[in-house]
Amino acid sequence: MSGKSITVFLGPQHPGAPGNVAFKLLVDGERVLDIELIPGFLHRGFEKMMEYRRWDMDLVMSPRICVEDPDHVELTFTHALEQIYGIEPPEKAKYLRVIIAEFSRLASHLLWLMHFAGPIAARYAVSWAIAAREEVLKWFDYITGHRIYHHYIFPGGVRWDIPKDFREYTLKVVKRIKPLIKDIEKGFFKHPVFIKRARDLGRLKASDAIRLGATGPTLRGSGVAYDLRKALKYDAYGEIDFEIPKGEYGDSYDRAMVRLREMYISLEIIEQAVKKMPLEGPYRWRLPISIPQGEGIGRVESARGEFIAHIVSAPKNPMGKPLSPYRIKFRGPTMAHLTTVLKHIVVHEEITVADLPVLIGSFDPCPPDIDR
Amino acid sequence: MDKEKLLVPEELCNLLPEKYRGKILPAGMDTGKRLELYIDPEDIQVVMNALKEGGYNHFLGITVIDYPSENIFELVYLVSSIDRGGELFAVRTKVKRDEPVISTISHIYPLAYYQEIEAYEFFGVIFDGHDGLRKWILEDNWEGPPPLRKDIDTRRIVLELYYSGKRYERPIQWRSLSKKTEEERKEE
Repeated sequence: MSGKSITVFLGPQHPGAPGNVAFKLLVDGERVLDIELIPGFLHRGFEKMMEYRRWDMDLVMSPRICVEDPDHVELTFTHALEQIYGIEPPEKAKYLRVIIAEFSRLASHLLWLMHFAGPIAARYAVSWAIAAREEVLKWFDYITGHRIYHHYIFPGGVRWDIPKDFREYTLKVVKRIKPLIKDIEKGFFKHPVFIKRARDLGRLKASDAIRLGATGPTLRGSGVAYDLRKALKYDAYGEIDFEIPKGEYGDSYDRAMVRLREMYISLEIIEQAVKKMPLEGPYRWRLPISIPQGEGIGRVESARGEFIAHIVSAPKNPMGKPLSPYRIKFRGPTMAHLTTVLKHIVVHEEITVADLPVLIGSFDPCPPDIDR
Repeated sequence: MDKEKLLVPEELCNLLPEKYRGKILPAGMDTGKRLELYIDPEDIQVVMNALKEGGYNHFLGITVIDYPSENIFELVYLVSSIDRGGELFAVRTKVKRDEPVISTISHIYPLAYYQEIEAYEFFGVIFDGHDGLRKWILEDNWEGPPPLRKDIDTRRIVLELYYSGKRYERPIQWRSLSKKTEEERKEE
């Protein structure tokens, strides 16, 4: 340490930066003293664009907010709209939403290994995860007709009915994915290099995690068993029995292991939901296109944490556009993780520049939900 | 979806200033089930401090809603309580649109620091006592008034600034679309 600190910029082109986001670091030698987030590289003005468009157009735009976990954004948007309409989806659609959301979580966690295993130089884990994700995407293609953005969840239910061999096919896919995740566990999560790099890196106490606004696996990794799926029991989650994994020390290792456990739990939830769901019956209520006056707040547990859509529908829209929402606000989980939580860890712990990408990767950030 | 309404916690009522006791109302349904409290903008710090002490320790965000015809910005502060199973609490307040100043709560909830920057750059709401109000998400992206205000036509500004006034999109068919649906509804 020379005692002279300099400012260094990291990202958005840096391979260690997680997507379209940059950081301003204050470094002294190898040690990072302070960190500041520079967002805005992917700002598309979604909230304003949605005020110009009809709500069914907005629904199609909403998954674009987070590419890696699109269905949860759709789900929270749908929840908010259904509150304004004051309706409840049919039983079959509730189960279908759970299955879609869990597959989306699984795909997102598998893609997360790209941000996390990459900086540890375990490129093999990345390719294995992408191969496992391919199975999920094929399933999505079969059920919804799309691979990345599915537009499947819809206010009043789901968009399409299921094919005849839905149950058998889904159980087969679950069976096919399980050994692939077990391989990743054996090859990466039990590897001494991963354990040495991730253990004791970026410790976050439970009280700090709550105070700083962390949600999702980051909060659970710190030992708080808080999950909106259990707390709010939205859709069919009340009927399904599953555990909430939590960590002990709140370091990067715990956060990674929580995500690994969640992949297995997602598969269990899918199995239960597929077996319990009614195969017959309506899948969607038709709703009038003009939106009633009101306000709705959708909250879901996305792969990264709590995702909120706050929609206000007012009768007179000064933009002169009927049929469109008055104001939409999305709250993503990433803002807290990359600002308050990251800053807290960097200031209170000795983090080197080499460890920083691993630490950032352990939060599984999705910068587009900061920019929107 | 249970239709039961949330109960107002008594210990919280005792922490709040006297004029707000009994003013907390349950609202919403499904995942948006929440307790709501309308307050005067001067009391925001007192109320948020009381909420934090009363167990609402998890800050979620600030939603700003613009009502130009009534000359107000409505601010909705969303906090939840992890100890009470994720219960949502919405604190609502209104500030004047031509003089949008309210005290900061970033020293009570750290995440509010960044949410307040967002409200500042998109709506121009000024948070008194906040030391870092600046363009953050919009830095180097936007020159002009706060874009999410209702009376700002961002499309016109973008066309003038970046596309030298040329139209850069297909013609909008808003009128015809809405008329069609109206007619269809009448037929039904």
